[in-house]
Amino acid sequence: MALLESSAIDAPPAAGRQRGSGKGGTGRRAVGARRQDNITAYLMIAPMVILLGIFVMWPLAYSGYLSFFKINYYTGSKFVGLQFYHDVLTSDEFWHSLWIGFYYALLVVPIGIILALLLASFIKTLSKRVAAFMKVTVYLPAVVSTVIASVLFTFMYQDDGVVNWFLSLINLAPVAWLNDPQWALPAIAVPGIWLGFGITTLIVLAAMLDIPDSYYESAMLDGANFRQRLFRITIPLLRNVLLYLIVTGFALAVQMIDLPLIMTGGGPVDATTTPNYYIFSQFRSPDPYSRSYALTASLLLFVVLGLVSIAMFRLIRSDKAVDG
Amino acid sequence: MTRKANPVPTRILRKSASGILVVLISLSILFPLAWMAIAGFKGRTEVLRSPFQFFPDMWRWSNYTSIAKDHEFLRAMIVTFVGALIFTALSLAVNSMAAYAFARLEFRGKRFWWVYCILPMFIPMMAILITSFVVVSKLGMLNTLAVLIIPGVASAIQMFFLRQYYLNFPVAVEEAALIDGASRWQIFARVFLPQSAAPFVVVGLGSYLAYWNAYVWPILVVTDPKLTQIMQFLGNFRSDRGNDWGMLMAGSTLAAIPTIILLLIFQRFIVNGVRISGMK
Repeated sequence: MALLESSAIDAPPAAGRQRGSGKGGTGRRAVGARRQDNITAYLMIAPMVILLGIFVMWPLAYSGYLSFFKINYYTGSKFVGLQFYHDVLTSDEFWHSLWIGFYYALLVVPIGIILALLLASFIKTLSKRVAAFMKVTVYLPAVVSTVIASVLFTFMYQDDGVVNWFLSLINLAPVAWLNDPQWALPAIAVPGIWLGFGITTLIVLAAMLDIPDSYYESAMLDGANFRQRLFRITIPLLRNVLLYLIVTGFALAVQMIDLPLIMTGGGPVDATTTPNYYIFSQFRSPDPYSRSYALTASLLLFVVLGLVSIAMFRLIRSDKAVDG
Repeated sequence: MTRKANPVPTRILRKSASGILVVLISLSILFPLAWMAIAGFKGRTEVLRSPFQFFPDMWRWSNYTSIAKDHEFLRAMIVTFVGALIFTALSLAVNSMAAYAFARLEFRGKRFWWVYCILPMFIPMMAILITSFVVVSKLGMLNTLAVLIIPGVASAIQMFFLRQYYLNFPVAVEEAALIDGASRWQIFARVFLPQSAAPFVVVGLGSYLAYWNAYVWPILVVTDPKLTQIMQFLGNFRSDRGNDWGMLMAGSTLAAIPTIILLLIFQRFIVNGVRISGMK
């Protein structure tokens, strides 16, 4: 990182560039280069840090505190320590829902990214006007709320719905998409991909357009084909963006709740019970202390997601600027 | 893929192939949306009818006209649209500033604050939904526009995206500016922001849609009909009024229009790089 050294470079005489503001005074940088960056950086992250503190971290700490209590509005709350944690961690259903969440992410994230890479490469080759049309078109699914998408796809998956109608055109037997434990999760993964890949495509496209054409031109002069250009130029240079897509895609996919909630109700036989769906159904269940249980389960889901994503950050390092 | 035939037929072949591909891709993406728009012409239960039917028996405009004339719908659209614009502007400001600091500055405790800012991405909504409600009600924010906007402004996902994007920015330009005596704020405002059109459009659309499509949070914190959000309004077709699918589809189609217009306006910013450096 050349930044560190560059900020230590002696500032030119301030005389030539007078600025009124005291905080950005160049004259002072020569004295305390590191300090200057500290203050600037803290000021820059302050709004985000404070907002997150009030609206995320405080509620989170509060939830953590509540998870140690059996809450009863009539007799008062009783401290139970880690009992709910024990209950959740020994519940097969919780682990099963985690597995379903990971399976769903495994279906949605790689396919979504590959589709986006292909589509963005394709859009890049189009003329300006057609590309504009495609950019709007691929984004349209994202405009529809998940609720509407779930309803749309539920209709399309009906026994005599449009999907089975297409299958009959190519002489395949109809499938009970949402009622077959084997097919239900892949079936809800399709709208999951459909909803997300427009944004992913635009992200990949925006990043791809930043790669100088000269890279591709010289590669083509050297006779590199599409696949070589994709794997040798595009993907390495998209590393920062791909890390983003993988980590956020994973975090969002495991937390999916709307699609199973509306399309399958977690069934058949829990085949689409994602972690958040499981937590939600526990939350609604009439069992005593089911709310505390649900709260604890959601905190544990947070821990699991955090740990997995730390591993992902470690695997794909992108701390450095690509050109170093 | 690349054919080694003589160039002219190859070009024609390629052009028509890409044309066919454009049509196929757009059809497969647009099909469900077209179905939604057309289902808006159907009666209450006609939408659900099997066997599957693409077009309605009779094209009735009544769903569309009655929603378009509904004052509550129009108010929800306007209130949500204004809220979404404020929300998007605020979150771009807050998140891009933090993103720049994390991508480009060295400061004490950077690792700690980075983890702090990125963690919210992994917090399930259920874990903090109830306690967030307690917090905003203690702050006296219930039933205000602020409660819909402020809590979501700082977004780990958006900040992370912008940071990844800023990591790719050429270091040389920044160094040159530093040597010229520019402050970090000036570099951020004059070098980074003008280069951020494409990522801002991508992230901004994401923020806008997150606000527009929010459902659970508005239901929880807003009971004042003056602040009813568009998804709350559309949700009424599913519960209170007993699943009126035709109306829901028509309402959803109309509700998508402002977003599509924004998309048409802003897609042009996602174009070939305008990097001043000419180098990566």
